[in-house]
Amino acid sequence: MKTRKPSYEHYANVVLKNAKFWNGKSFELRDEVRLTGSSSNNDSLEYDCNGALVLPALFALGVDFMEPLRDDVYTYVDGVDALRRGGFYGALYESAANPIDDVDKLTAAENRRPCDLNEGPGGTAYNIRFLGAYSKGFGTDSLAEMMELAPGVVGFGDGNAAIPHSRFLRLAMEYGKMTGKRFFFQPMDKTLRHSGCVHEGAYSDMLGMKGIPRIAETIAAYTVLETARFLQVPVHFKQVTCGETLDLIRNARKQGMDVTCDVGLYHLLLDDSCLETLDSAYHILPPIRSAGDREALWKGIEDGTVNAISMNHTPVLRQDKVVNFEDSVPGALSLEIALPAIWKKLSERVGDARAIELLSTAPARLANAVRGENHAAAVVVLAADKPHVVVESDFAGHVCNSPLLGKELPSSILATYINGVWTNLS
Amino acid sequence: MSALQIKHLFGLQGVSKQDIRTILDNAKQFREILERPIKKVPSLRGLTVVNLFFENSTRTRTSFELAEKRLSADTVNFTSSNSSVKKGETLVDTLRNIESMKIDIVVVRHKGTGVPKFLAEHSNAIIVNAGDGAHEHPTQALLDMLTIEEKLGTLEGKNVTIIGDIRHSRVARSNLWGMSTMGAHVTLCGPSTLVPRNTDLMSHVTWEPDVKKAVANADAIIALRLQKERMDDALLPSMREYRNTFGITEDLLECAKDKVIIMHPGPINRGVELDSDIADGEHSVILDQVTNGVAVRMAVLFLLAGGRNENS
Repeated sequence: MKTRKPSYEHYANVVLKNAKFWNGKSFELRDEVRLTGSSSNNDSLEYDCNGALVLPALFALGVDFMEPLRDDVYTYVDGVDALRRGGFYGALYESAANPIDDVDKLTAAENRRPCDLNEGPGGTAYNIRFLGAYSKGFGTDSLAEMMELAPGVVGFGDGNAAIPHSRFLRLAMEYGKMTGKRFFFQPMDKTLRHSGCVHEGAYSDMLGMKGIPRIAETIAAYTVLETARFLQVPVHFKQVTCGETLDLIRNARKQGMDVTCDVGLYHLLLDDSCLETLDSAYHILPPIRSAGDREALWKGIEDGTVNAISMNHTPVLRQDKVVNFEDSVPGALSLEIALPAIWKKLSERVGDARAIELLSTAPARLANAVRGENHAAAVVVLAADKPHVVVESDFAGHVCNSPLLGKELPSSILATYINGVWTNLS
Repeated sequence: MSALQIKHLFGLQGVSKQDIRTILDNAKQFREILERPIKKVPSLRGLTVVNLFFENSTRTRTSFELAEKRLSADTVNFTSSNSSVKKGETLVDTLRNIESMKIDIVVVRHKGTGVPKFLAEHSNAIIVNAGDGAHEHPTQALLDMLTIEEKLGTLEGKNVTIIGDIRHSRVARSNLWGMSTMGAHVTLCGPSTLVPRNTDLMSHVTWEPDVKKAVANADAIIALRLQKERMDDALLPSMREYRNTFGITEDLLECAKDKVIIMHPGPINRGVELDSDIADGEHSVILDQVTNGVAVRMAVLFLLAGGRNENS
């Protein structure tokens, strides 16, 4: 298999030549664009983009580097490398391995954030924001210390745990309301999920695999919405997978509720016909649903119901994927390949401005991480029409669990420039 | 190497009519051999077969082992209860260790859908599926087809009704693919909590909720075993109600053709899916299925290994 190793260099200034630069409204072909980074190295670089697009860097929702669960396999450093390769200047982080349910854990998580690549202590930290847990340890019946956590977190969520029973949900939101923060849920009713691992549909029934019905999501979403309406708490739904949930969100907004949502990258790219391969790379939760569901998500993107596209970036050990589908660990990497995988289709369906909003400004807004005008440059250089076959070395760390491994993407990232670091991928 | 278009037997979905015909025709010849005083042929002499069973099995494993011995293969039995799997060994490591012992054919049963295909991707051995989750159990379907051809002459144009827990049945899934390929018309019937909810990809079969209508035109009825766990999981209220609603009884057979044959993959829950007087009665071909199981498995192993030995 071919390999591709990025190179990393610090430059205080970068001059991009022959680039289609995003001016906030459209791509504008410019002979030269000067960018100023935040590097202590005063060197400058000139780079000929050959007409490639220069987009504002992206912001990732749904990121978990699994540290410290297996820091011999994947770490914050790997995660930041993945963000850099994929053109992300920041991320909203939720750790299933180490839920942030008190201030000590928040402090520990903040301290684990690595300084920027190749920089020593005191360098520029990557813009990683945190969600606090609303229960101790995720999915328990004990409240996390939300009041103390509130100043340091974006909002509250129990990772990808199923929604709790209705009484605890009410109490968590009732208590957390004092913080004024948003609650983040992946809507999933655990009793309806039962032991399902794939979308309950024609393919699961044909293959005899246990499915997760759409109502496992819609009933959970309805429960959350009713509780949020009763308590007047803002909520966000992560990784919505079907049109019925989007309908609930549309109706809630009509009633004046503050509800936001995102959809996962792979839920926009794939459908459950991939199950026929029985390849554990497609084992992702929430499950990849039918072609009809996928189209409903695209409609939600077009009509504005969907606020942002999330990454659901989850490293999985190789040996946990080299098993049969049902026994494999769910999850997929996405940061390094998200933009080249989705850009063309996304920009064709909703236009360049909305595409950038879905991948950059809207997710950053949800994480209170919008960049001001005084920030150093953060851009990604994308050859929109240059295909790229995904290889193992595209991924940071010692894992490569992606259903797109070996597949051809319609576009290629040539380089990124974030926090004064020029990452050359061409 | 294989004398068939397929190199492994993962299931019957997608297997050609020609391959199924070849297996059934060879099985008929092996069936004749099984009636001889000396039932052994040297077809697989020098080859080693491992029966890799991660789920409990008596009938299928015994049937495969007998088929292997009748073909003169060296056989090794591996069950997860007495293996390193209990010590945390992965599926791939288990297979690679066994393969290092120069195994030629692996017969595998596992609770996970797609395990035989997964093993084939990580091994050079020939893989035969002896049941993977609720996905497929191809040799059971082949022996069902052989039995129907033996009793009714052909599968072409015959009506086969399968009754019971279709949703969790690998036997039903293999039968609906295999029998449809061979020209039979398959009707499926069972309680609404035990049939697949989405049948778009299985539109070539008929779904009939009324058991009397389901058996009315049947030339063959296959009753599926009902597992007691289904009651614990609230999929059914009681064995009693199931028997009264979907059990094969004398009363139900009043609605069926006079010469209908009754089949069951075993082991039978007598008085639940099948009444004793039916299981032991004139319509029952259940013991013929068992005999045909050995013949079909001999044919599958022989053909996948190359089918070259002229002594067979």
